[in-house]
Amino acid sequence: MKNKIECQDVWKKYNKNNALGIKEFILHGGKKNKNRFDREWALSDISFSVKEGQAFGIVGPNGTGKSTLLSLLLGTITADKGYIRTDGRVASLLELGAGFHGDLTGRQNILLHGVILGMTKEEIRSLTPDIIEFSEIQSAIDEPIRSYSSGMVARLGFSIIIHAASEILLIDEVLAVGDAKFQKKCILHLNKFKKDGGTIVVVSHDMPELASICDIGFCLNMGKIAKFGPIDEVIEYYQTLDY
Amino acid sequence: MLNRINLKNSLDLVSVLVRKELKVRYKSSVLGYFWALANPFAFAFVYWVAFKFVMRVQMENYSVYLLTGLFPWLWLSVGVNRATQSFIDNSMLVKKVAIPRAIIPLTNIVQEMVHFIFALPVFIIFLALTDGMSLYYTWIWQIPLMIVIQFLFVYPMSLVFALTNVYVRDVYYIVGIGFSLLFFVTPMVYPIDMVPIAYRSYFELNPIHGLMSCWRGILMNGTLSLEHFSFTITFCVVSGVCAWLVYQKLKYRIGELL
Repeated sequence: MKNKIECQDVWKKYNKNNALGIKEFILHGGKKNKNRFDREWALSDISFSVKEGQAFGIVGPNGTGKSTLLSLLLGTITADKGYIRTDGRVASLLELGAGFHGDLTGRQNILLHGVILGMTKEEIRSLTPDIIEFSEIQSAIDEPIRSYSSGMVARLGFSIIIHAASEILLIDEVLAVGDAKFQKKCILHLNKFKKDGGTIVVVSHDMPELASICDIGFCLNMGKIAKFGPIDEVIEYYQTLDY
Repeated sequence: MLNRINLKNSLDLVSVLVRKELKVRYKSSVLGYFWALANPFAFAFVYWVAFKFVMRVQMENYSVYLLTGLFPWLWLSVGVNRATQSFIDNSMLVKKVAIPRAIIPLTNIVQEMVHFIFALPVFIIFLALTDGMSLYYTWIWQIPLMIVIQFLFVYPMSLVFALTNVYVRDVYYIVGIGFSLLFFVTPMVYPIDMVPIAYRSYFELNPIHGLMSCWRGILMNGTLSLEHFSFTITFCVVSGVCAWLVYQKLKYRIGELL
């Protein structure tokens, strides 16, 4: 099977205190306070690949580089060293409602979010009924989404993304917002997406959810891969990890 | 992903984003689009009172001169100002989705262009009725051409300001003050003939003066001055190349700076 995502020796560092060099030096006397949120490399030496039809889970404590890694895969930031390749259209659900506008109705936001995800207007128009049906928002679809609950926004966002005809889905802790029934529906749908040859990368703190979607994954700690393997082993490792 | 060339999607993206902005901006106001027109007319009235009525600028067709410059000026200055802040205002679109970054400031410029295009017939009719401004059949090609030229004039500098503003947020303030100054350094409320001859050649070097002269030549006489036109085109090409180089250099890090 083809590799849809490939990462080789990826290193990423954030340049902190950009223009503040002098101010910082005076305030802190040039001392660097070291804690786990303030290390030099946000990610170091990350190598992995995800095949067609595979779901990859990423776990780890807060501030360990999980979201940075997803941003790298999406291409909104670039790595300092190493090589990243994604093959096919990437859709991301990195943040709820990114690209939504509160004053527009649900229906108008479907169009807006759809083009942002890389679809053409025609594609979106033909998919709109399916998206509305999957979200189960029904009559509220013509209300401005600032009147929606966060669960409803999540439903709409998720429905758009899975209809976006992408080959790679990046999901960052957003499933948890929906109710139990909707979450179940999403997990079913993600598993179907996988079976049809889609590739998924999920970041989550919800272990049962990860276990039900992913096949393999790794646990990140301090920006390094601490444990790589089948998802059950990774989850077990993470739960006993001391940080 | 960012290098993906998907023209159809990019065009759709611009049109949807522009419509969204226009829709959102005028949605909850009663008079809606009227305000887009009210602004330049109100400005023109203020300048007319100040310069024609009080200061008595000696010039025929002063209100025509004023308005023909003011509408393209507003497209330029409002467009550049909004675009400069566009990455910061739309940080979600930069950080969380993989759309080509250059589209974000582009949206602001297209939006102001749409304003300009809708305002154009209104102010032409206004001038024709109040000042008996003549209409020229050559406008059929001259006006669309100048709209394209002005777009090529405004967009590159907007992109550069927008990108640099992410790195150094002071750019926004510099651009704001800069355009306020430029309004009076450029012959907008006074004709260039009023500038002392010793300094006139410096005023002629201002590319915005070239652009405005093209517009005025067309709207007031139906003629396009080759000298101003070639100067404007040259500026568009040079700034376009510079903007492209800056974009290639600066686009990679803006995702993490926002």
